[in-house]
Amino acid sequence: MITSGIVETDTAEEFIEEIEKSKDALPEKIDANPKTVEKGLAKLVLTLIELIRKLLEKQAMRRVEAGSLSDEQIENVGETLMKLENKMEELKGIFGLEDEELNLNLGPLGDLM
Amino acid sequence: MIVPVHGRHITSVGFQAGKDKMNAVVVKSKEVTLLEILDRVLDKGVVISGDMVISVADVDLIYLGLKVLLSSVETIEKLKGSPFTSPM
Amino acid sequence: MKLYLYGIIDSSNQTEESIYGLEGSGVYNIPYCDIGAVVSEISQPIQEVTAGSVLEHETVVEKLMANFTVLPVRFQTIIDGRDNLLSIMQSYYRDFKDNLERVSNKFEFGIKVIWSADKMKENIIKALNKEQQKKLEPASSSGKKFMKEKFEKYKIDKEFEAKADKLIKVMDIFFSKFAAEKKLTKLKTENLLLDAVYLVEKPQESNFREVFEHIKSARSDFKYLFSGPWPAYNFVVLSKKSSLLREPEQTNLFDKVTQSQTLVGVDII
Repeated sequence: MITSGIVETDTAEEFIEEIEKSKDALPEKIDANPKTVEKGLAKLVLTLIELIRKLLEKQAMRRVEAGSLSDEQIENVGETLMKLENKMEELKGIFGLEDEELNLNLGPLGDLM
Repeated sequence: MIVPVHGRHITSVGFQAGKDKMNAVVVKSKEVTLLEILDRVLDKGVVISGDMVISVADVDLIYLGLKVLLSSVETIEKLKGSPFTSPM
Repeated sequence: MKLYLYGIIDSSNQTEESIYGLEGSGVYNIPYCDIGAVVSEISQPIQEVTAGSVLEHETVVEKLMANFTVLPVRFQTIIDGRDNLLSIMQSYYRDFKDNLERVSNKFEFGIKVIWSADKMKENIIKALNKEQQKKLEPASSSGKKFMKEKFEKYKIDKEFEAKADKLIKVMDIFFSKFAAEKKLTKLKTENLLLDAVYLVEKPQESNFREVFEHIKSARSDFKYLFSGPWPAYNFVVLSKKSSLLREPEQTNLFDKVTQSQTLVGVDII
């Protein structure tokens, strides 16, 4: 019997859902199968590209916010970012990788993205 | 253990339905309690490692355990005299 | 003889009542100087993590908590023999002693708050300042359209985070009044606004609970979970400085690093 470790809530179901969601990102088991090694490399490379792409996007947003981009620049940056995003989708498709998989767990530092 | 029953009335008509709803609430409450315990017992607290330690709850065990556990909650319900079904 | 370890206590005395743990074995204290390791004998490592075994473990820890300061040990920590256990106690003695003193007479409480991320975002969209988007209108060309969509999402996410920060800060101010230490995680999921643990001194427990009730009624559109008292699961630190009153954590490095207004040294455009 649980003596003092009491959990009180009126909405247990909602908390169960959110707690389970937060634990969904399971660490990958190491698998030395050559096919998976290939996929593992692709994942790593794409994760890093994704990181840079997100940085670029964020930088662009900051510039829009600050109003420091000309009309022409907005158009050009938009086109480039869009192409980048589409390319990433294509690559993810080729390697059969989901968004959530393109991440790195840095231990005590948490996840990369 | 506190089971939330605010505003849920068990009337004589549809007593079984009321009882089932009450049970569902109780099961969910137990489940969330278990999740809270699991998070602490499997993932927090003192970790001692080294040659003299035979086994420590390792990562695989933790995550496998979490998945297995939630399906075993209701199985445990049926076990007679288990700490889990003791009156709270 | 395999010894299943439940926790480290601040006493070399025997545990008062008869406590039974895994495999129904009797639980007892193996003293080392002025502290002790609470164990029971086990025949083999636990093959399967079940609700039953976890609860058996936790029940023992909570019974100890009633009479001692406990440093709870992780599930399935099995030591190979009494000599090895004493050896471990010797190497960790200072660590254990420091932690026992730090968490003495304190309980851990867990607080989780759920909000409706969708509703928050709806409200944000309504209140969105359209000034900055003027340059993105009319969104005739594809590049511009892309930027407009991205910018809208960026603004919404930014406001969303800012709102979360503000709310957490307010709640934390109240809780911290009665807590010695804390650990906060912001937006573990979109809806899980706050996942916090606080280390509260026993005499402050009722004040702490009262403050929780106040916050519950102040923002009754949110959902709350309160757990505890627990032994200091989240506050045991071995050979490291303790986390005294830390700021809320971001859950990923990207957010942590890009938090500041300018990305220093990165002028890509």
